Amino acid sequence: MSPKDTGKIAFFVKSTKDVFSFFFALAKKSRRTKIFFVISFLPVFMAFVVKFSQIFQLSRDIEGLYIFNNMIIAFYLQFLILILALFYGSSVTSEELEGKTLTYLTTRPISKSSIIVGKYLAYTVMIVFMVTMGVVFSFLVLNLSELRDLSLYRVLFRDVAVLALGLMCYTAFFTFIGTILKKSIMFGLIFSFGWENVIQYFPGSTQKFTIVHYLKSLLPSVSRGRFSFLLFRLEPSSTGTSIFMLFLIAAVFIVLACFLFTYKEYILKD
Amino acid sequence: MSIKERGYTHWDGELQDGRFPWWPITRIGIKLTFKKKFFKFVFALTLIPALVWLVGIYVSERLEDFKFMMEGETDFLNVNPLYFKTYFTNEFLLFMVVAILVFCGAGLIADDLRHNALQLYFARPLKKADYLLGKAAVIFFFLLILTMVPGIVFIIFKLIFAGNLQFFASYPWLILSVIAYSLFLTTFFACYTLLLSSIGKNRRYVAILIFGVYIFSDIFYAIFYEIFRSRYFSLLSIKSNLQQVGAVLFNQKTPVNIPWFYSLLAIVAICLFSAYILKRKVRGVEIIK
Amino acid sequence: MTAVIKTQNLSKWYGNVLGLSDVTLEIEPGITGILGPNGAGKSTFLKLITGQIKSNIGSVAIDGERVWNNFSQFAKIGFCPEQDSFYEEMTGWQFLTSLLRLYHLPADEIEEKADKALEIVELTDDKHRAVRSYSRGMRQRLKVAQSIAHDPRIIILDEPLNGLDPLGRRKIIRLIKEYKGEGRTIVVSSHVLPEIEAMTNQIILIHQGKIFAQGDIHYIRDLIETHPHIIAIKCSDPRQLAQRFIRHDFVLKVNFDLKKGTLLVETNNRDKFFSLLPELFVENDIKVEEITSPDDNLQAVFDYLIGK
Repeated sequence: MSPKDTGKIAFFVKSTKDVFSFFFALAKKSRRTKIFFVISFLPVFMAFVVKFSQIFQLSRDIEGLYIFNNMIIAFYLQFLILILALFYGSSVTSEELEGKTLTYLTTRPISKSSIIVGKYLAYTVMIVFMVTMGVVFSFLVLNLSELRDLSLYRVLFRDVAVLALGLMCYTAFFTFIGTILKKSIMFGLIFSFGWENVIQYFPGSTQKFTIVHYLKSLLPSVSRGRFSFLLFRLEPSSTGTSIFMLFLIAAVFIVLACFLFTYKEYILKD
Repeated sequence: MSIKERGYTHWDGELQDGRFPWWPITRIGIKLTFKKKFFKFVFALTLIPALVWLVGIYVSERLEDFKFMMEGETDFLNVNPLYFKTYFTNEFLLFMVVAILVFCGAGLIADDLRHNALQLYFARPLKKADYLLGKAAVIFFFLLILTMVPGIVFIIFKLIFAGNLQFFASYPWLILSVIAYSLFLTTFFACYTLLLSSIGKNRRYVAILIFGVYIFSDIFYAIFYEIFRSRYFSLLSIKSNLQQVGAVLFNQKTPVNIPWFYSLLAIVAICLFSAYILKRKVRGVEIIK
Repeated sequence: MTAVIKTQNLSKWYGNVLGLSDVTLEIEPGITGILGPNGAGKSTFLKLITGQIKSNIGSVAIDGERVWNNFSQFAKIGFCPEQDSFYEEMTGWQFLTSLLRLYHLPADEIEEKADKALEIVELTDDKHRAVRSYSRGMRQRLKVAQSIAHDPRIIILDEPLNGLDPLGRRKIIRLIKEYKGEGRTIVVSSHVLPEIEAMTNQIILIHQGKIFAQGDIHYIRDLIETHPHIIAIKCSDPRQLAQRFIRHDFVLKVNFDLKKGTLLVETNNRDKFFSLLPELFVENDIKVEEITSPDDNLQAVFDYLIGK
């Protein structure tokens, strides 16, 4: 099957799908995926500890939803998705170069863009799944007594969607960074825990230069009358703008990554 | 003078046991770290707190000249054990120490595992302890430059600027505190880094773990404290435990109101766990299941 | 026969280091051996013709079409890289089938081709083991398998016999010859002359990034034959032996290495020399410790050819 036979777009989609299957299966088996899975489930462990302590009245009586929104989601949003996106995003290119397996992919009849997109999607789906499982289980444990309140599930869905969008965006950004920089981890850590953590609190339009600003803009403005640490100093953008910007950021960085990967020469050191 | 023959000739001398078999490992580790791009820049950044504290020591001896800038607030410039403790346990320094570990420590064992180099090491007259000591010494080199060296320099400069030995007479144990805490901090971070470096073969993955575990431990403390309002959750935080022990060594009040030896035990437990894992992971033969 | 691979003034620099210099050649169907010492530019040449790297000057075309960023070419090309690298957590079977899937083949055809390739390289029994548990030879065979599994018309093999035992080498050489019989184009690189010699007559010699000989192997061999050879003999009575040798006109020079007690003989006819040697030992009751040929290697050939 050649591109001429099936049309370029259909061929690209098929190639991307094949690369996706390849790397999704590989990522599933890898030991570090299991370790990151365990890390993603640490909030579930925390949730169990909190719930048990509440049952035995060992801790303050705080609503499960408050803990979920202000601590669990904060943990995922401001730390875990950054770590996961940084590792998996930069791995899209870096691990092929470090492992010298790039040749196996670039000597197949598939475009280099489909390698980037396929691998990016495989890793994004993997980490979205990891985070979603952790978030869902934490939510269920913390709100055990209120599971019949269907309005809570809207909160869960919204939070999962925000985290998924965040992962999509950050992974795209770090995929791009991994394509241009050899030492993408250091840059990624500075960006994640320097830029994102600091600029988001700047006034006016400055905070719009962070991805986390748009993610937080999708969260509700007030968390049932309580102070929300997560939304401290946030000057939110509208929901439509935020969703559009997140998709745009992801698309731009993936397109840039594809472009660079296609035209850049990678020399594997012997 | 004898005329030397061209070409290779066998060395006629006797081979001797090296007194420090770990030293070549350390030397290469340090050399390779300095070769990394941006490392020198990041390392220079980590010396900024030391510079600021040194300037503070100078200003403390010239308070009259700088009083107009201080607007009367000069307490923080009292150069005493608290001043030293503040330097050694400040968050920026600890954060930058972790950043340095990402550069110099992430690949120490991970790269050897990746390239099957352990077999090459242990095919030489090198014991496991020498190998680990050599690797740990790389971390010791960089971290002691950030901790012990500035601490001793502060004391020396304080004495020089003061022009007398009164500071030393007031706090004769301070230099021992500086050395003890520096070694304590460095030993912990060496164990911590080598443990994580031995877990993976991918240096990027280890770099993220070094950073992530440190940050996450603090986050867990914050979350659990918020829920349970129990200060004992500070034992979950690496930073908090280090600050507790630091305060005790400098004869200061501990930041968290719990027995300080719990923090020490937590740190020692991590070190022992690290030793256990390293004993299992570092070996000349790889068993593939 | 029409050339399949054509290069025109192909040159590649790695910073200031010249990897390949002004290579213009045509490779026709059949087996072509690329011969050169380590660092000669063989891998650079193969990476250029497989589109792994971009040339600084010149062009390379396969079937008249460029290779760089032209992925459709790879449907007909199989490449076996030199590096020993794999997705270590996969099994041999998973590795092959996953790569075959990238050719958009139907599932049953993928399994059939994977099975066939593994059978050819004799990895069928180990196909469900993780690659990280494979020996060096098995890994090399798996690399060859991934380059032939999709039945390519053009096969590029970079040092394919590295790490293989003598039996494995023979099998791969036999396979390559079979492919030649099917009309495929095979380019094989090596730094070991007998390996290339066992596969093909057509050789390209590369040294320091330049092609300095191309053609039939017998031409190369003849050059070696006429080039004086040095043979070192460590024996009980080198002077006696030397006296016997210098009577023959195919012995050009005789030298003594007194320290090692070795006799160095320069000859322009190795065959006659080695026929005479045992006779002289027996006649003169000379005890032999060691016979070596210090310059019977590719480097010596190259040195000689460059000197020419």
